[in-house]
Amino acid sequence: MRGNKWWLLVLALVLGLVLAACSFEDSAEEDDTDTDNVEENETDGESESDGEEGEKVLRIASTSDIPTMDPILAEDNVSFQYTDTVYEGLYRLAPEGEIVSGIAKKDETEISEDGLTYTFHLREDAQWENGDPVTAHDFVYGWQRAIDPNNGSFYANYLMNGKVKNAAEIYVTEDDESDVEPLDPSELGVSAPDDYTFVVELEKPVPYFESYAAFQTFLPMNQEFVEEQGDDFALSPDSILSNGPFKMTEWEAEAGWELEKNETYWDAENVALDGISVKVIKDADTALSNYEVGELDRVTLSGAQVQDNQTSPEFLSLTETSVFWLKFNQDSETASEYMQNLNFRKALAKAFDKQAYIDVVYGNDSTPVNFFVPEGFVEHPETGEDFQTGSDVLAYDVEAAQEFWEAAKEELGFDEVTLSFLSGDSDVAKNISEFMKTELETNLEGLTIEANNVPWAQQLEIMREQDYELAVSGWGPDYKDAISFVDLWITDGENNDIGYSNEEYDALVEAAKGELATSPVERFEAMQDAEKIALEEAAIGPIMQRKTSVLAKDYLKGMESLNPFGNDYSFKYVDIVK
Amino acid sequence: MAKYILQRLVYMFITLFVIATATFFLMQLLPGSPFNELGGKMTEAQEQILLEEYGLNDPVPVQYAKYMLGMVQGDLGVSFQYDNRSVTDIILDRIGPSAHLGAQALIIGSILGIILGMIAAIRHNTWVDYSSNVLAVIGISIPSFVFAGLLQYYFAVQWRIFPPSFWEGPIYTVLPTISLLIFPMAICARFMRTEMLEVLGSDYIELARAKGVSNSSIMFKHALRNALIPVITVLGPITVSLMTGTLVIEQIFAVPGIGEQFVRSISVNDYPVIMGTTMLFSVLFILVILIVDLLYGMIDPRIRITGGKD
Repeated sequence: MRGNKWWLLVLALVLGLVLAACSFEDSAEEDDTDTDNVEENETDGESESDGEEGEKVLRIASTSDIPTMDPILAEDNVSFQYTDTVYEGLYRLAPEGEIVSGIAKKDETEISEDGLTYTFHLREDAQWENGDPVTAHDFVYGWQRAIDPNNGSFYANYLMNGKVKNAAEIYVTEDDESDVEPLDPSELGVSAPDDYTFVVELEKPVPYFESYAAFQTFLPMNQEFVEEQGDDFALSPDSILSNGPFKMTEWEAEAGWELEKNETYWDAENVALDGISVKVIKDADTALSNYEVGELDRVTLSGAQVQDNQTSPEFLSLTETSVFWLKFNQDSETASEYMQNLNFRKALAKAFDKQAYIDVVYGNDSTPVNFFVPEGFVEHPETGEDFQTGSDVLAYDVEAAQEFWEAAKEELGFDEVTLSFLSGDSDVAKNISEFMKTELETNLEGLTIEANNVPWAQQLEIMREQDYELAVSGWGPDYKDAISFVDLWITDGENNDIGYSNEEYDALVEAAKGELATSPVERFEAMQDAEKIALEEAAIGPIMQRKTSVLAKDYLKGMESLNPFGNDYSFKYVDIVK
Repeated sequence: MAKYILQRLVYMFITLFVIATATFFLMQLLPGSPFNELGGKMTEAQEQILLEEYGLNDPVPVQYAKYMLGMVQGDLGVSFQYDNRSVTDIILDRIGPSAHLGAQALIIGSILGIILGMIAAIRHNTWVDYSSNVLAVIGISIPSFVFAGLLQYYFAVQWRIFPPSFWEGPIYTVLPTISLLIFPMAICARFMRTEMLEVLGSDYIELARAKGVSNSSIMFKHALRNALIPVITVLGPITVSLMTGTLVIEQIFAVPGIGEQFVRSISVNDYPVIMGTTMLFSVLFILVILIVDLLYGMIDPRIRITGGKD
């Protein structure tokens, strides 16, 4: 009998589930139609109100959640983009990368003659969301908080070390062999003589310091608020105190976030949008589907989508300042002998079709290049001409490549050589290694390429340890100065993982970083010369300057180009004009 | 019964301990460091500071002891990918949508599957049987993301019946649920059909028929119950994998679920999250196995639960 009761229970359960499921399904479908109607009504309503009242909400997608809203911890595009939207620092980036006044009035900034002291005058009408005024003390606190090694900011050290006074002495590892006691963060070279004057002292002139003033690591912070929030700071909209054009109202992990115009922002009248709604969409096809049904105002295209949509009137191709190149590791244990040969490097650099690389790997209209400081990035301080004047030393030319190859063979005395090619394990990375293998093996006789596809994290480690022979990598600038590119290849430089070394090059770059800091024209030309040397020596084999392809509704204004450095967009200046 | 459950729980903890230990040490073998998202802009010194801060400079056994102690107290550590966000929060935030979709797909899928399987068995060797078979084979062999893509394209983009993605209400769950339920449905249908055929051919069913028991009574009271055993066996593991999210489906429908972290945490060396997701999966899995074992006894008293005499 006992068994029978169990049996009834199971039966009841199963039937219950059947009914529940059916009713759920039915109700779900009913819901569908209902919500569908409601939604249509809503969208209709919205578009009407768009026309009448101008409720302008920008709807876009992001490929990832925001890793952090704490500006000093931000290390990725998404975090930078949205901390910039919520906060305002000394200066701000306007479209085309123009640096404009933020909390500090740019045209009143005083720079000492030696270029070592910057005095910023702050506007007095700026305030935090809670009504507190934004003062110079907030900047002092923000900068000190950033450089405090206990707070674990990567960018603070990267940007301030050796540049802002005492930064290097404050940011010291505990188990450093040198027994130097680290300085307290309050020793950082920043001060607030009064509420609305902020002074920064530098160790050496930093010609691109303007970019710093617009960078997210250097934002002011409301000390009282930050300390009150403690470990919860910046983890939810409630624990973020905005002083910028927008404030965050909702943030759901991995789903998306909502920003609303901040009415207490000092320049609120010049903020056109009423809000920004961002959805996390990792799949490119899903993003495009949402754009097609009108859920998004703008979408970034990837892979085959680019070609499919190239003829659309809504298609835009935006130039980035990221440049990609082929690296020849001259310190490689296994092939340094080859890599150190100039003809060998030149042969490799000229032997592959850059346009075909772009077609195969990205399928968009990125530009094949023969240089490594991007075009459209920095201009001559006097004439305003672009830094990049072009070069064809390393242009694609199979015949020339073969001549260099023969010369290298003779000098080095080899007939056949096998090189490994380090690449990631994503689809794009595999395309890259396959393309390079085919292209180089076909054009250079006796060369065999072995692809080594490893996960991204491992790839970076291998590069850092210089345990590779060939690899493709790229660089995007953090501040508006060619030095962020030419500094890459100085002897034993932090990021010089190609083992390139040239005294003349080093001298030019050191001059640009040091004694020429106050003579902009000479400095600019020194960096141009440095690039020329590195190209003639085929330190790397330039490939392309990347472009991003997007579809955007025509009513969207102010997002027609990417900023050449820093954040991609400046939402403060975006508008929807229907 | 209580003794049996208690004994199983003890085993469970031992198993979890072994899993945690094995995962912890295996994880140390992952190449790369957790802090290289920056594409190599970080200096050695900075990496040292971070390693120190997250306690990664301690010898591995010390890290292990610290982690296990924390875990016992319910502290799973802090994620490296999302600064300062605790692993517990990440899991709790994300498990909701995954579990919701999984449960929906499982319940609807298994019930449809059981019904389909029963019908196929009853109408053995007719067109009903054949077509249900074809459906089942399609459901098992075509991966769910193919259905997801097709459903999204037709129902969302072409006909605009459902929203293409996001997670904002019941209507948003329809397409992902359908894509997810096809597999459990197909599996259930297959197993149900085979088992039903076997049961229907057995002596006691013959006897019941001979006694003049009504057809529906035979089906539901005698046959279904016995045929359920294998179905429940296969549904156990499927439940766990459905409830913990599916990477591809979640990406296609932009569902903020946990599925992605099972893959991503490993590729970015986010140790605490790797541990967290692994433990989550293990706990659910072991629990489900226990429940399945208990269900066996409920459905078929011949499978005795014998308080640990083995």
